[in-house]
Amino acid sequence: MSEPVLRIDNLVKRFGGLTAVDHLNLSLPGGRLHAIIGPNGAGKTTFFNLVSGMLRPDAGRVFFLGRDITGLKPHEISRLGIKRTLQIKSVFPQMSVADNLWITAQAGSRFLHPFRPAARDRGTAERVERILEQIGLTSLASRAAGTLSYGDVALLEIGMALIAQPRLLLLDEPTCGMSPAETERAVEKIQQLARSIDIVIIEHDMEVVFEIADDITVMAQGSVLASGGPEEISADERVREAYLGRPEDEDYVEEAAHA
Amino acid sequence: MTGRAIIERTLLGAFAVFMLAVPWLIPSLVNSFWVSLIAEILIWSLFAASVNLLYGYIGLLSFGQALYFGFGMYGVAIGIDQLGLGFWPAFGLGVVASTAMAFVTGIFAVRLTWHYFAIITVVFSLIFYFLAVTQKWLTGGDDGINFSLPPTFSFGGTQISFTSGTFQYFFILATVALCLWLMQCVTRSPLGKAFLAVRDNDVRASLIGLNIYGLRLTAFVMAGFLAGVAGALFAFFGRYASASYMFYNVSGEAVVWAIVGGAGTLFGPLVGTALFIVIRELVSTHWEHHSLIVGVMAILVVILAPRGIVGLWSSLLSRFIDRGDARAVSAAGKLRTDP
Repeated sequence: MSEPVLRIDNLVKRFGGLTAVDHLNLSLPGGRLHAIIGPNGAGKTTFFNLVSGMLRPDAGRVFFLGRDITGLKPHEISRLGIKRTLQIKSVFPQMSVADNLWITAQAGSRFLHPFRPAARDRGTAERVERILEQIGLTSLASRAAGTLSYGDVALLEIGMALIAQPRLLLLDEPTCGMSPAETERAVEKIQQLARSIDIVIIEHDMEVVFEIADDITVMAQGSVLASGGPEEISADERVREAYLGRPEDEDYVEEAAHA
Repeated sequence: MTGRAIIERTLLGAFAVFMLAVPWLIPSLVNSFWVSLIAEILIWSLFAASVNLLYGYIGLLSFGQALYFGFGMYGVAIGIDQLGLGFWPAFGLGVVASTAMAFVTGIFAVRLTWHYFAIITVVFSLIFYFLAVTQKWLTGGDDGINFSLPPTFSFGGTQISFTSGTFQYFFILATVALCLWLMQCVTRSPLGKAFLAVRDNDVRASLIGLNIYGLRLTAFVMAGFLAGVAGALFAFFGRYASASYMFYNVSGEAVVWAIVGGAGTLFGPLVGTALFIVIRELVSTHWEHHSLIVGVMAILVVILAPRGIVGLWSSLLSRFIDRGDARAVSAAGKLRTDP
């Protein structure tokens, strides 16, 4: 299919006097893992909020597989198959790990049965068990999600993304705050996922980005500064400037480039 | 079956036997006034359950449930006194009126959350309280409406009605038990899990595809139904309806009962309601400031046992019972997984 999985057309979002996303144009073809990088305040998370319906754009349109999804509500967008994680880990803290997965699997259905016991739904229960095994949380299935360690919550979030069977997954800094070992585990899962799902990832850890991304888009001040493969981006002068500031002295750039 | 399940089922069984024996047991132990007091506790605990469904299961704190209780009462009273309806049509009118009212007010109220939601529910209930007080032609104003009780069932010449204390008690017990059973079904269903997800984290709930507005409205209408059934029962129980039961302090009492008993648990509201009504009955004849005890207890529970009395009980159970079970389970698990 030639239709890009996500096409962004002149998207604008202003907060008072600040233009967080400024006439953003993007076209992400399917089948590849996209990373969005950029300095703090570049508008990356705002961009995710606009795509997932948590914010309404002031102008411009968002197309998902050719369908205009601008202005839809978050749950409507989610039901079309776009799932996202939040920058700050976010699960249902008082529900058990298994129930977190269970409700995520069921949330897309139009009708939630009000009287039949949830436990009687064997199909969903089996899916939950499979995902628990995949993310390695089977032994913690009945624990309240709020009592998990940070790394386990991150795994649960990935499990929730998996069980929802998304067509497009938006990951907002998935490795933020993780230990090196946890990061490694998460990166492995993301790479596995990327084989079957289109993924857009916002990430600050450059090592992770250059390891997993097929395409990289660099945002600065609300619009696209550069985009291309990892080699192109790492060689791009403008990207270095955006990250490191305009060089006043060549030594500084040399030093930073080798750091 | 785990040790915990055995204890809980035994308690539930004993409780059910006690409730069924009340009309014969209580008059011989205390006096027959306490039978109707227990019936009253059942009605008010259903009202507290409506607060609990909202606060404990979907995270909306309503200070205006008395509005729907009042609609249930007036539906019955106006149905009998002015429209000349029989028992069942009047009961239906009360429940339908309160459920419909919950739907209409809910459309606006559930757009808001937290204190904004609490405030708008109070505002709605105050508006209708003042309307009820002033529209004397319909509601009887301050005097309320007294009506004579129609029979619940009539077979040929024999009639069964609330004039029989035993029948009244069992009718109320059956209705409240049915409503709590329905509530239990809902909370264990896919819909109930969706409610909990919205309570826990509404942003995340919308991102996984849950329509949080629709779910909150559904819960609000269900809570209106429960409050309406409670109000209709109370009208039959007291043979009258009065605007004073629509005032917001009635709503506030239900919030205290539900939270002290244990929000988010099926029996919490029943425990809280029973505790406070029994205290009121025992103390109020000797001491007029009995509400001081209520206040102190509410503060203590909120600070020391945020999940209420039932929550405290269940965490005690898990400390002493589940630990043993967990040990047994992990041992069994090892046996199974070890090659």
